[in-house]
Amino acid sequence: MTAPITPALLYLDNITVTFDGFRALNALSLAVDHAEMRAIIGPNGAGKTTMMDVITGKTRPNQGTALFEGSHDLTALDEAAIAELGIGRKFQTPTVFEMHSVEDNLLLASRSRRGPFSTLFARQTPRERERMDMLLDRVRLTAHRRRKAGELSHGQKQWLEIGMLLAQEPKLLLIDEPAAGMTDQETADTVDLLRDIATTKAVIVVEHDMTFVRDLGVKVTCLHEGSVLAEGPLDAVSANERVVEVYLGR
Amino acid sequence: MTSLRILLRAIALLTAMAAGAMAGPFEEALPKFSADSYSDTEAAISAVAGSGHERALTVVEALRDGRLLAGAGQVYIREASNGMIDAATGEIVGGAGNLKPVRVNNRVRRAIEAALGNLTLLSSDTRTRFNAAQAVFRSRDASALPVLERAIAQESDLRVRGALESARAAVILNKPDAPAVEKKIAVEILSRRGDQDSLALLSNVSASSAPDLAKAASDAAEGIRTRLALWNALQNVWYGVSLGSVLLLAAIGLAITFGTMGVINMAHGEMVMIGAYTTFMVQEVIRLHAPGLFDASLFIALPLAFLTAGAVGVLVERCVIRFLYGRPLETLLATWGLSLILQQAVRTVFGPTNREVGTPGWMRGALEIGGLSLTYNRLAIVVFAFSVFAILLLVMRYTSLGLYVRAVTQNRRMAGSMGIRTNRIDALAFGLGSGVAGIAGVALSQIDNVSPNLGQGYIIDSFMVVVFGGVGNLWGTLIGAMTLGVANKMLEPYAGAVLGKIVLLITIIIFIQRRPRGLFALKGRAVEA
Amino acid sequence: MRTRSVLDRQTIVVIGFLAGAAMLVPIFNGLVAQDSALHVPDHLVPLLGKYLCFALLALSVDLIWGFCGILSLGHGAFFALGGYAMGMYLMRQVGSRGVYAHPVLPDFMVFLNWQELPWFWYGSDIFPIAVLMVVLAPGILALAFGWFAFRSRVTGVYLSIITQAMTFALMLAFFRNDMGFGGNNGLTDFKDILGFPLQAGSTRLVLFVVSAIALGLGYLLCRWLVESKFGKVLVAIRDAENRTRFLGYRVERYKLTVFIISAMLAGLAGALYVPQVGIINPGEFAPENSIEIVIWVAVGGRGTLAGAILGALVVNAGKTWFTGALPEFWLFALGGLFVFVTLLMPRGILGTGQELWDRMRQRSQLHQAAPATSQAAE
Repeated sequence: MTAPITPALLYLDNITVTFDGFRALNALSLAVDHAEMRAIIGPNGAGKTTMMDVITGKTRPNQGTALFEGSHDLTALDEAAIAELGIGRKFQTPTVFEMHSVEDNLLLASRSRRGPFSTLFARQTPRERERMDMLLDRVRLTAHRRRKAGELSHGQKQWLEIGMLLAQEPKLLLIDEPAAGMTDQETADTVDLLRDIATTKAVIVVEHDMTFVRDLGVKVTCLHEGSVLAEGPLDAVSANERVVEVYLGR
Repeated sequence: MTSLRILLRAIALLTAMAAGAMAGPFEEALPKFSADSYSDTEAAISAVAGSGHERALTVVEALRDGRLLAGAGQVYIREASNGMIDAATGEIVGGAGNLKPVRVNNRVRRAIEAALGNLTLLSSDTRTRFNAAQAVFRSRDASALPVLERAIAQESDLRVRGALESARAAVILNKPDAPAVEKKIAVEILSRRGDQDSLALLSNVSASSAPDLAKAASDAAEGIRTRLALWNALQNVWYGVSLGSVLLLAAIGLAITFGTMGVINMAHGEMVMIGAYTTFMVQEVIRLHAPGLFDASLFIALPLAFLTAGAVGVLVERCVIRFLYGRPLETLLATWGLSLILQQAVRTVFGPTNREVGTPGWMRGALEIGGLSLTYNRLAIVVFAFSVFAILLLVMRYTSLGLYVRAVTQNRRMAGSMGIRTNRIDALAFGLGSGVAGIAGVALSQIDNVSPNLGQGYIIDSFMVVVFGGVGNLWGTLIGAMTLGVANKMLEPYAGAVLGKIVLLITIIIFIQRRPRGLFALKGRAVEA
Repeated sequence: MRTRSVLDRQTIVVIGFLAGAAMLVPIFNGLVAQDSALHVPDHLVPLLGKYLCFALLALSVDLIWGFCGILSLGHGAFFALGGYAMGMYLMRQVGSRGVYAHPVLPDFMVFLNWQELPWFWYGSDIFPIAVLMVVLAPGILALAFGWFAFRSRVTGVYLSIITQAMTFALMLAFFRNDMGFGGNNGLTDFKDILGFPLQAGSTRLVLFVVSAIALGLGYLLCRWLVESKFGKVLVAIRDAENRTRFLGYRVERYKLTVFIISAMLAGLAGALYVPQVGIINPGEFAPENSIEIVIWVAVGGRGTLAGAILGALVVNAGKTWFTGALPEFWLFALGGLFVFVTLLMPRGILGTGQELWDRMRQRSQLHQAAPATSQAAE
């Protein structure tokens, strides 16, 4: 905890997770820098979601190191503490609070004190209201601000969830399959949004859609059977023999 | 007819005259019974018993049963037919004047016991001999020693011989002037016998007797104490297993419904109740139309209870539960409502009071193994519970229904897309679970009151078992039921029944909080395989 | 904004209703002639007061079930604990007027040959301490239980079952004489409260009014809670617990907080209930009672607060009528209610009413809109 071991924002080393003897992650190592966007690809069961679970504190690794900002040990913290450190997560299927209005969803996500007593006496300041308007505008939901989140279309929900991530003001965003179920136009808009976000924050995107990954134009990490198979620009990774083997299952 | 009676009279008279002619200790002792003094009676008993007279046993037995009457120096026995016979001769007598039963107190009663023991030691019936030996063992009557030794010498039955020997050991140990060597052998014999009575005898050997004898006795007593504690613990384990079987029976149907559908069926206890009432109905019909079938009533009730409860289960599933899948809390409430309706329905039809369900003859009595006493009805339930468990295990593993149920349990949507009609499987699984509950009701009708509230008593316990053992895993249910049963019975001697139960409930609450998915949830697949 | 205004209207209705009851019942009881149809007979006053206590209890269940998804099947335990705390005070007020005329010990302790007051009875004769215990005892139990349960993330039916086991264990415990709460018979034969005789009509009226005020304040507290950001977090937990956690909220703390508040409200309801019915015994811990509370909430409309009050009043009035007129049919009716509400009216009376109201308004808006567009087309 004294001196940072690594300059990387997120540093995973030798992480292993087993479920009932099945190795979901096998000595996985990964480092992500400040304001870097990284795309994670890999076939089903490669350990992408488990990796997210480890980073966000949902799953405890059997062994290995997971450091945030070089000094925070993620394996010792719970979900809430990790979220407060500045790691936000968007799930594969959009999970917004369906019974709450769009505005309330963002309000719940926005950076503020999370304790029961703080929320009991919370009042929205003019500055926060201004920020809320900006956010709504950025995820293009200003017109729907009073609608229940459950009434939104699939794509809108995805964007609302990204908006909620932004409201958290995290340093690192974990985004699981943002383009799933989106129209081409929505997908293109999402790419723009993510690239915009990545100018100031670190982003990890898990995605199956290769066009989407190509459009992002960032460094790619390919996972297979719980460890890193290849890393580098998409073209290099997709030219890698073993990656081809895994994907095509020769 | 008349001539026959005359002949009998004549024979009786002759016998009496012959007896009178050889008036021995028996005839001399008899009048003492009419003295109305306890010590005289006691003396008379030992004189009669020691006389070796053929009527001695009859007289002492009559005294024991309060049928020995005395008045004015004469002693009579009242026969079952209310007629009177002369105690000395066995001759039938008419009115015999003012007679009073010979009174007994506890000391006299002990003397009777001892005398009976001595008298029957040589009986031709093994059971009688065995009981006599036991009686001597308890009375430690030194006067029985000669008879005992004779009996031992001619005894061929091993069990009776053992009893006779320990009786002799008891007598010798209690006899102050017996030789030390004999006493040491007695200690050994008693330590081998090793029951509560031997323990009492051995602890009675005073420290003032020869030091090596005293040590041998106290060592033997210590040994017996350890052994008895072990038996006691085993007995408690047995009670625990018995309770565990009851829990298993009640919970196993629940394990299926809860496991497959994640449905909390609060009316599960009522399915048990329906099974119990089916048993009652079957017995009523048998009682009216075919009393000879009574011993088979439970076997007739089993399939009927399965079908009745199963049918109610399917009905409940089709009419209520299937509309509530994915909403476990609502299902819980709706089935609770159903349980109220079923209870009240049974109350309306059968009345609110307990209904009498009889126990077939073969379930009465108890099996004694060493220091254990296993009553047959509990034994039957334990065996039955394990059989039901085994059958269910086979059904789940080898039938297509079992395969489908397991598939639906593990992945409902996948099972559905592979062409399994999940709706029908749900209904069948629910029917199966309910039917098993009905079967449990047949068994529980033997040990519990058959009333409309029967099921309620089991619902919390059953859930504790299922949740403790891990959901959707029959082995977990078995282990859960047995653990809870045994833990409950082991706690009882220390904490009392109520406190023991509270302790257990709190333990489970804490346990569930530590392992929310139960004992076997994670290793589930490994155990099932 | 639309929902906000409807909720405000609901608050006005609830508070208006309670204020009306608090004023009208004493008037119709005391000032209206006995033979008048409007006269509220004396025996009805504690009955109505009892209903209000049940309504407060239902409110406490709705707060956690309706807004945070915690289905407690053991809330009767908190109610009973509050009741016992009040019962202990009332018991001490009997003083030497008991059957055994012991100046300090309640009758049952004399009967059991106890020589001195157990430590947990100390101070129970002082009213402020008794009131404190009314909320503290359930609160501490809720804290202890919830701390374990919520931290280890026991949810759903598992939580429901262990709450039921909790109240069951407490019932067994309170049945024991050694517990020091009167065992089987519980606490009863009370004489007076704060010096006012409990049998007097005026005392009962005051208790009724106090119950109405407590219910009103309880309602306002819950309303305030659920409309704050705190309440929004609760609903978020109800609908997507994990998501809330990943937003950085410590779900267990929220659950624990609201669980304790709810338990305290239930305890308060119990404390008001006991002087009006004159007895508290271990039967109040019975799991059946706790499940019945849930059905009050479900009937009225889960997650609406006012619905909980409505449901408690309707179901209990029905129970009183049934057990008088058709006693055998009460359990059929209650059981049927459970099935009917969960199957056909999952949103309860208020929720269903709201739905119908919305649909009618939408339809009338469509009707208004349709001619306008057709005119525009021309």
